[in-house]
Amino acid sequence: MDPECSQLLPALCAVLADPRQPVADDTCLEKLLDWFKTITEAGSSLQLLQENPCLVELLCHVLKPQGLSARVLSFSLRLAGVFAAQESCFQYLQQAELLPGLFGEAGPLGQAAWSAPTVRSGWIQGLRSLAQHPSALPFLADCGTLDTIFSLQGDSSLFVASAAGQLLVHILGLSLQGPAEGPPSPQACDWPVCAQKIVGHIEGSLRSMATPQVTQALNVLTTTFGHCHGPWMQVLWERLSPLVACLLQEDPLPAAHSLVDLLLSVARSPVLSSSDCGLWETLAQTLRRLSPAQAGPLALGILKLQDCPQALRAQAFGVLLQPLACVLTAADQAPGPPGLPEGTTGDSVTVDTLLSSKSACAGLLCQTLAHLELLQPLPQRPSPWPQAPLLGAAVTILRFCNGSAAPASDVGGRLCAILAGCVRVQRAALDFLGALAQETGPQELVTQVSAVLLEYLRSPDSSPTVLKKAFQATLRWLLSSPRAPGCCDLDPDTQLFLRELLPVLRKRLCSPCWEVRDSGLEFLTQVTRHWGGQAGFRHALLASEVPELAEQLLRDPESYVRASAVTAVGQLSSQGLHATAASPEQLGGQKESLLAELLHVLSTDSEGFPRRAAMQVFTEWLRDRHADVAEDTERFVARVLQAASRDLDWEVRAQGLELALVFLAQTLGQPSARCPYAVAAPQATPPGPLAQALRALSRVRLFEFAFRALFDCDRPVAQKSCDLLLFLRAQATPSGGLQEAEGSPDVPEAVLAVLRSLDLEGLRGALAESSDHVEKSPQSLLQDMLATVGVRGENQADCY
Amino acid sequence: MPEIRVTPLGAGQDVGRSCILVSIGGKNVMLDCGMHMGFNDDRRFPDFSYITRNGRLTDFLDCVIISHFHLDHCGALPYFSEMVGYDGPIYMTHPTQAICPILLEDYRKIAVDKKGEANFFTSQMIKDCMKKVVAVHLHQTVQGDYNMTPDRHLGAAWIDKCRPNLLITESTYATTIRDSKRCRERDFLKKVHETVERGGKVLIPVFALGRAQELCILLETFWERVNLKAPIYFSTGLTEKANHYYKLFITWTNQKIRKTFVQRNMFEFKHIKAFDRAFADNPGPMVVFATPGMLHAGQSLQIFRKWAGNEKNMVIMPGYCVQGTVGHKILSGQRKLEMEGRQVLEVKMQVEYMSFSAHADAKGIMQLVGQAEPESVLLVHGEAKKMEFLKQKIEQEFRVNCYMPANGETVTLPTSPSIPVGISLGLLKREMAQGLLPSAKKPRLLHGTLIMKDSSFQLVSSEQALKELGLAEHQLRFTCRVHLHDSRKEQETAARVYSHLKSVLKDHCVQHLPDGSVTVESILIQAAAHSEDPGTKVLLVSWTYQDEELGSYLTSLLKKGLPQAPS
Repeated sequence: MDPECSQLLPALCAVLADPRQPVADDTCLEKLLDWFKTITEAGSSLQLLQENPCLVELLCHVLKPQGLSARVLSFSLRLAGVFAAQESCFQYLQQAELLPGLFGEAGPLGQAAWSAPTVRSGWIQGLRSLAQHPSALPFLADCGTLDTIFSLQGDSSLFVASAAGQLLVHILGLSLQGPAEGPPSPQACDWPVCAQKIVGHIEGSLRSMATPQVTQALNVLTTTFGHCHGPWMQVLWERLSPLVACLLQEDPLPAAHSLVDLLLSVARSPVLSSSDCGLWETLAQTLRRLSPAQAGPLALGILKLQDCPQALRAQAFGVLLQPLACVLTAADQAPGPPGLPEGTTGDSVTVDTLLSSKSACAGLLCQTLAHLELLQPLPQRPSPWPQAPLLGAAVTILRFCNGSAAPASDVGGRLCAILAGCVRVQRAALDFLGALAQETGPQELVTQVSAVLLEYLRSPDSSPTVLKKAFQATLRWLLSSPRAPGCCDLDPDTQLFLRELLPVLRKRLCSPCWEVRDSGLEFLTQVTRHWGGQAGFRHALLASEVPELAEQLLRDPESYVRASAVTAVGQLSSQGLHATAASPEQLGGQKESLLAELLHVLSTDSEGFPRRAAMQVFTEWLRDRHADVAEDTERFVARVLQAASRDLDWEVRAQGLELALVFLAQTLGQPSARCPYAVAAPQATPPGPLAQALRALSRVRLFEFAFRALFDCDRPVAQKSCDLLLFLRAQATPSGGLQEAEGSPDVPEAVLAVLRSLDLEGLRGALAESSDHVEKSPQSLLQDMLATVGVRGENQADCY
Repeated sequence: MPEIRVTPLGAGQDVGRSCILVSIGGKNVMLDCGMHMGFNDDRRFPDFSYITRNGRLTDFLDCVIISHFHLDHCGALPYFSEMVGYDGPIYMTHPTQAICPILLEDYRKIAVDKKGEANFFTSQMIKDCMKKVVAVHLHQTVQGDYNMTPDRHLGAAWIDKCRPNLLITESTYATTIRDSKRCRERDFLKKVHETVERGGKVLIPVFALGRAQELCILLETFWERVNLKAPIYFSTGLTEKANHYYKLFITWTNQKIRKTFVQRNMFEFKHIKAFDRAFADNPGPMVVFATPGMLHAGQSLQIFRKWAGNEKNMVIMPGYCVQGTVGHKILSGQRKLEMEGRQVLEVKMQVEYMSFSAHADAKGIMQLVGQAEPESVLLVHGEAKKMEFLKQKIEQEFRVNCYMPANGETVTLPTSPSIPVGISLGLLKREMAQGLLPSAKKPRLLHGTLIMKDSSFQLVSSEQALKELGLAEHQLRFTCRVHLHDSRKEQETAARVYSHLKSVLKDHCVQHLPDGSVTVESILIQAAAHSEDPGTKVLLVSWTYQDEELGSYLTSLLKKGLPQAPS
C-alpha cells in the first residue's frame, strides 16, 4: 500500500466504524474490497494488518452490538475473509479471537442485523474467502458454522441460498483434497469431519424426499461433480448413487430439473463416465421416467456426451424426436413417419402433453426444435441424421402455425387449432429450418421448404420478428442451394424461387413496420454480397423493382432503415447493380447522383446511423476503387472529408480518418507494419514520388482534417488521427523523402514542420489511456469516500 | 392458492440496475433490465444466472417490460437479449422505444470505444434487440420512476383507482419532501442570472435527454422575459436527436407545451444556439449546456477545465454523479483535482447542485398509493433506510402490507383471482333453446355482456344489460351523397330510384315509403334538390354498419346513374 493511502486509511476506518456517518455510494465499499483483494493477492495480509492497526479496529467494531450498519457489517465480514485467506493472517485473527467473534454465535449471527440479507451474504462470502487452507477446516467444523450454512441453503434470498450451496461445495472440495494419500476410503468415518458432516447432510436431504431439500442436495452435488475431479469423486458417487436412484421411485419425481443436471454432471465427469454401467442404467431409467418436457434437456445432454453406449444414445435421440414424430403422425401421413429411427412414433404421453394446453404445446415444441438445432452442427450428433423427416417436421409445424396444413387426423386438427398463429413456435421452427440448410434434402422437400418460406414472407399475418427469422432462414437456404452442373450460375429451381421471392421482397420493403423494411434491406445486402456476380441473380434483381425501392428507402423516416438502405445501395452499386446502372444512356449522370445522394445523407441526415453507414460505404468504395470514385478520387475524398470533419457524431469523424488512411495508403503506398490499421490497399497503383503524393493530400485537405481531429475531445478520434499522422511522418521522414519534399516549391512545408515539431509519440501515449476521466486509483477512492462524509444527501443516488 | 411472486435481481433496496422478476398467473415477467453506472465489470448488469438456471431463457420468461428509457432501467437489454440469449417479446411505450436506442448507443460507445472494453454489445445487437420490441400504448409510469409534479415537458403521473393486488413503486426520494418545483426553478434562474450579471460563465453538464430539455425551456423563457443578451449554447450531439424525438412525441408531453407548440416549436429556441468548442474562450458571460452530465469525459470536462480557475464562473450539476468522476469530486467539496500527468486543477468556480431529477418525493408516492388503492405495496429503487421509513408510513396510513425485498429476496403474495359471475336466467334459457346442453366434457361458448352491479359480476344478454344500466342503444349509420343529373321533381327521382333498385335487387326487400323515401333492408335513400343546380338531384344514402356491404354496393350502383327512362 502506498504511503498516501496508508495515511488516509485510519480516517476512513473511523468513518466506517461510526454508525452516525452513512457510507457514501453503494459501489464504494465494493471497490474498496476489490482494492484490498488486489493488495492481499500481491503481498502479506498479516503485514498489512500490522502496519495498519485501524483495520483490526474496524473488525473489532463488528463485535459490538448495534455497532455497524448492515452494509458496513457485511463489508467487514467479507474483508475479514479476504485477510484470513492467508494462513498466517488466519492464525493471527484466530489468536485475537476475532474470527469466532465475527463468524460465530457471538457475532452478527446472533444479532438483529442478521435479518438483513446483505449481512448473511457477507458472512457467507467471508467464509468462502477464508476457506483456502486446511487450518480453516477445524474452525468451520467446530463452531456450528456448517449447520448455519446448511440452513442458509433455504434462505429467503436467492443470492444467499445459492452462495451457501457454493460454499458447501468449496468446503467439501477443500476437506477432501487435503489428506489425499492413497485411494480414499469408502468408509465415511475415515473422512475429514467437514466432509462427513456435509455428506451426512446431503444424504439426509436426499432421504427426506422433500423437494426443496432434495433440490439443494442435488445442486450441491451437481456443482461438486462439475468442478472436482479427485479420485474420491468415485467413492462419493458410489455412496450416493443408491439414494439418487431411490428418487426415481418417487411419484411425483422431486426436483426433476436438478436431477437431470446432476446426472449429466456425473456423466461428464472424467472420473466416472468411462466404466460405470450403473450410471448408464440410471440415465436410461430417468429418460423413461421423466415427462417429455423434462426429458428433453437430459436427452440432449446424453447425445452431447463424448462416449456413451449406443443403446442409450438411440433411446435419447428417440426421446428428443418424440414431439416431432407426433407432429408428423398427426399431419397425416400413413402408418408412421418415414425416415425417423425405429421406435420413434409419437407416444401417447407426448401427444397428451402437446394437446394439454397452448403453452405446454408451444413450450415442448420450441424446446425440441432448439435442442435439435443445437445438436445439428455437432460432430457427435446421431448418425444417420434424419434430415428428411426433420425437414418434413419443420415444414409441417410451420404449416400448422399458419393454418395452411390440412390435417387428416383428429390430433392434427387439434394441434392446428392450438398452434394457429403461435409466434413463438413459428420463430423456433424458422430458426431450426434455417439450421437444416447446412445440408440439403430430397428435392420434393426442398421445394416444400421454399414454398413454406414464401408463404411466411408473403403472409400479412407474419409478425416482424417472424419475418426477420423467415428472411434469415431464406438466406441460409438460398446460399446453400446447389449450383447448376457445369457452370457457376444458379440451378433452375433456385432461379425459379428467386423470381417468386423478389416481388415479395419488394412488397416487404414497403411494409409499414420499420423492422420489416430493415430486415428486408439486410437480406438484400447479404444476398447481393454473395451472389452479386451471378448472372441469373443479377438479371432477376435488375428486372425487379427492388434496387429502385432500396434507393427510395434512403429517405425513410426511420433512421435504422435509412442506414440499412445506405449499406444496401452501397453494396448494390459495388456490384454494378445499382438501380439506374441498367439504363446505359444515362449512365454517367445517374451514377453521379448516387454518390451525390450518399453525400447528401452524410452531410444532412439528422441521425448518426445513416451517416456512419454512408462513411462505411465510402471507405469500401475507395478501398475497392469503385468506378465512381476512381473517376476523380481526389474530389471524392475532399468532399467526404469536408462533410465528415463537421460531423457531430464522433464515430463518423473516426470513420473519416479511416477513409483518410486508405487514401493515404493508396497515395503513398502500403502502410508499414507499425501502423495499427493494416489497410489492404491493392498494389495496382505504384506510389508516386513523395512530393506529388503530399500535394495530393494537401489538395484533399487531409492535413487540415487530421490536425483538427488530433485535438478532438473524443479520444478515439484523436487517437486515430495520431496514428495516421505518425504513419505519415514515418513515410515522409526517414528514407530521405523529406529532403525531396523540401526541394519542391509547392509542397506544404509548413505541414511537415508541424509534423516534426509535434510530440506525436507522447500524445499517443496519453491518448492510449481511457478518455474517461474517472479516477480509478485507490487514493482517489479513499479521498472521495472521505470527502462525501457530511455532504451526503445532496448528491442523491438517482436515475441516469 | 394462486400467488404473485416478486424477486428483484436489481433495485431491491438499492438504486441502479433495475430488474424485477414477477411470477403471476403462471407467467414469468421481467420488469426492467437496467445497468449500474458505478461498475465497469460484470456487476454493472443484473446477475441473470438466476434465471438461466431454470432452463432455456426464452422458455422460462414470457416477456420483458421496460418502464422507461433511463439506462438504469434498460441498459442491460441488448446484453440480455443478444448475448444471454433471450428471444421473446420486449414491451415498452413508443417514446421509450424511440429514445432507448440512442441512449444504449451512447452507452456502448462510451464503454467500447472510449474505455476499450471487449465483450460488450455492438450497434447491430442494439438494433436487433430493438427489433424484438413491441411498442404499446400504456401509461408508462406504473412501476418506473415517476413524478407527481408536472414537468415542463412531461405531464404528471396519474393512475386510476384500479385497486391492484400489488403496487410496485420506486422510492428514490422516500424520505424527502421536496421544495416545490417552482422554488427549485426560481433558485436555478437566480443563480444563473447572478453569475451572468457579474460577467461569469455558467456550465451545466447534462445527459442528453429529459432534464436538459426542461432546463432549456426554463432558460429560454427567462431570457425572453428579462431580455438578457448573454448567449446560451447547447453542446450538440445527442441533444438534437433528443429534441427530434420530443417533437415526434409531443402528444405525450404536457398540455401547456402542446398548446405552445401550435404557435411556436418550443424546442426550436430563439436564444439557445449550437456550441462550438472555440466559443469557450470567448470573453464575457455565457451559459453552456454540455454533455456528459458527470463531468467525466468529452465536452463538459473540456469546458470545465477552462473555466474552473475563475471564481466568477459557476458549474451547476443537475444530477447524480458516480464515484471517481470529476462531478462526484467537486460535489463532495474537493477543490484540488489531480488531472492527467499529476497536474493539479484548482477549482475556484462556484459549484452548485440542483436536483431536477424526475423522481417522485414521499408525498408523491403516498398520493399515488392513495389513488390506486392497492392491496399491497412493494418498494424498489431506493435505499434500505429510506424505504423502511416510507414502508412504515404506508402501512400506518393505508393499512396495507408494504414490502421492500432486497435483491434476490422473494416476496410471495397470495391472491384470490377466482371471480364469481352470475348468469341471468334469460340468457341461459335462450342459449339452451339453441341446442345441446353444455357438459363438462364439451364446453360451449356463451355470448353475453358482462356487467358489474353492486360490486358483483353478471353475465346478461346485451338487451338486458342496456336496460339494467339505463343506457340507450346507439346505432352507427354511414351516410353518403350521390349526385344525379335529373331535372325532374324529387318525388319522381325517388320513384325512378325505386323502380331501378326493384329491378336490380330481386332478392332484397325494396320499399317506397309514403314520405317519398326508398328503403332497401336498413338502407334509407332520400332524394333532395340541389341548392344551386336545378338540373341535379342529391341522393342521401344512409345505412347501418351491419349492412355495410350492401350500402357500399348500392352507392356504387347509384353513382353509375339511373337507366334512361322513357320520357
